[in-house]
Amino acid sequence: MATMFLKESLLGEFLETLRLFGELAGPTLSVQGVTVLAPVTDPSLLLLDYKRTQIPPKKYLLPFREKVISFSKGGYHNGGDEPARTVLFAIHPCDLEGIAYLDRVFLADPADPGYARRRSGLTLVGISCEPDDFCFCSGTGEAAPCDLFLNRAEGGFEVTLSTARGEEIAAAARGCLTAFDSASKGKKSPLPPLRKGGDVVPAVRPQGLKRATLVPGSVDPELRFSGHPLWEEFARRCVGCGACSVCCPTCYCFDLREYPELTGGHRRMREWDNCLFKNHGEVAGGNFRPERLDRLRYRFLHKFCGFSPLEGMSSCVGCGRCRQFCPVDIDLRELLPEEGS
Amino acid sequence: MNRPRLAIAGLTACSGCQLMLLNCEGELPEIVERFEIVHFPMGESGSDPLDRYDVAIVEGAVSTPKDHQTLFRLRNASRTLIALGTCALFGGVAAMNNGTWDRGEALREVYGEGAGEIDSFRPAALGSFVTVDFAVTGCPPEKSEILELLSALLAGTLPPLPSYPVCLECRSRENLCLLLERDDLCLGPVTRGGCNARCPATGIACEGCRGPVEEANVAQELELLLERRFSKEEIVRRMSRFKAEWDYGQRR
Repeated sequence: MATMFLKESLLGEFLETLRLFGELAGPTLSVQGVTVLAPVTDPSLLLLDYKRTQIPPKKYLLPFREKVISFSKGGYHNGGDEPARTVLFAIHPCDLEGIAYLDRVFLADPADPGYARRRSGLTLVGISCEPDDFCFCSGTGEAAPCDLFLNRAEGGFEVTLSTARGEEIAAAARGCLTAFDSASKGKKSPLPPLRKGGDVVPAVRPQGLKRATLVPGSVDPELRFSGHPLWEEFARRCVGCGACSVCCPTCYCFDLREYPELTGGHRRMREWDNCLFKNHGEVAGGNFRPERLDRLRYRFLHKFCGFSPLEGMSSCVGCGRCRQFCPVDIDLRELLPEEGS
Repeated sequence: MNRPRLAIAGLTACSGCQLMLLNCEGELPEIVERFEIVHFPMGESGSDPLDRYDVAIVEGAVSTPKDHQTLFRLRNASRTLIALGTCALFGGVAAMNNGTWDRGEALREVYGEGAGEIDSFRPAALGSFVTVDFAVTGCPPEKSEILELLSALLAGTLPPLPSYPVCLECRSRENLCLLLERDDLCLGPVTRGGCNARCPATGIACEGCRGPVEEANVAQELELLLERRFSKEEIVRRMSRFKAEWDYGQRR
């Protein structure tokens, strides 16, 4: 894993080089004033110090609505379009971990063709970040899963190359990268501090996707969570808007729906689904999560306990979106036991 | 191919939902070819009111004995009856004062004392009188929803029913949350989605034109709006615009 140095003054040139690897997209403000990942038209509009985008990078891998297959004139046609080659620039470690989690789900055998196609066209450039009050990851990882990672340092960025594509980019951008020399380039910037105490739960170790250690000891987290009186209170407040799931970097539930067409053909569409909605648990003859409380609890249990084959794998990356975008301030950290309790 | 026989009719409403169907200009030739439109007073004259239909699509609320009669006739003559738009499904704009005004008082206010006896009652949804097989909500419904309905009918089925609130599509479009970020009187959390958050996308708070979403947490929405210093009166007024009677204590 090679490390190079990128001077702040050469960032513009570096961004132009990135364009050789696909359409450049990064964090910016939308017209409405929402932080979004969008094509970079003017590099000066990039928000390098952003906190989080409303919708995570998953939108590049799982579109809100996509045609899976269509049927017309007696034949089936795959809905897949040619993948756009996109370079996502300045992605935070939590979101990179989110993509790594989606990779485990969608690239496992058998791989999801639409996801795999789009994933292969995606180049990921990570960036280090400073947590705010909504964040609860356990600190920036040295090995955030991406092609190339920029760690802020004095006067520029330490550039870590993690993949062959990262090396390729570095080769193309050799004009603006220099060999990294920790002695001459100033001190390596410290990793963002692990926030402790108060509203932060240090026991959460989402980013390594390690076995969930939410509940120290051998207590089954599912049991521990289910009895919590806060669930009742959360279910009373929850307006069921689904924002926590829509904005979650690892929520990937989808529904497949058939839409007939006037001409006699039909489209099979894949659309984002949401376990906060009543129809998510509807099956012939009933609903296996009839109450909002069941659905809320299910969502958070799935995050922290997972399902086979990802059982025990935490899929919460600590990005803080579910808390920031919740209209009624539901904060799952209130449910988590303090370390050592 | 057997063309389904279609009736399209309006009761007490602005005819905007039927107009939305006529607005599907690109698809109209295909629609006319695939369906036999046998009764459509707004679109063509000379229909036979004694026909039988495979499908009746009905816009509007029921507020007069004539509406009542038309609705019963269409129900009796049709295999499938579809409520088109918020008025047909929830009473809509015509019913907004049901909870606050006496009908006689409202009629005198609109038509004056000299209008004489007008045979009209509190506007109500189709479902208050007959069995409704499917409904497309919206004021008016989206073109795409009307086309999905017609296409599904041709295939012998019905479209998926959006049972999620406006917030889902609003967040997914990366709109600014007008309720949280601008403290607007936004009804997105309690309003049925499917409009792709048409209004919030342009910076206009959701006015609830598609009626209540399933299991709306009305009590919490009320709390959220009261916290933003709207008066109960103003909130109730806004919420009644497209559906008169809400249970303000309802949490699920």
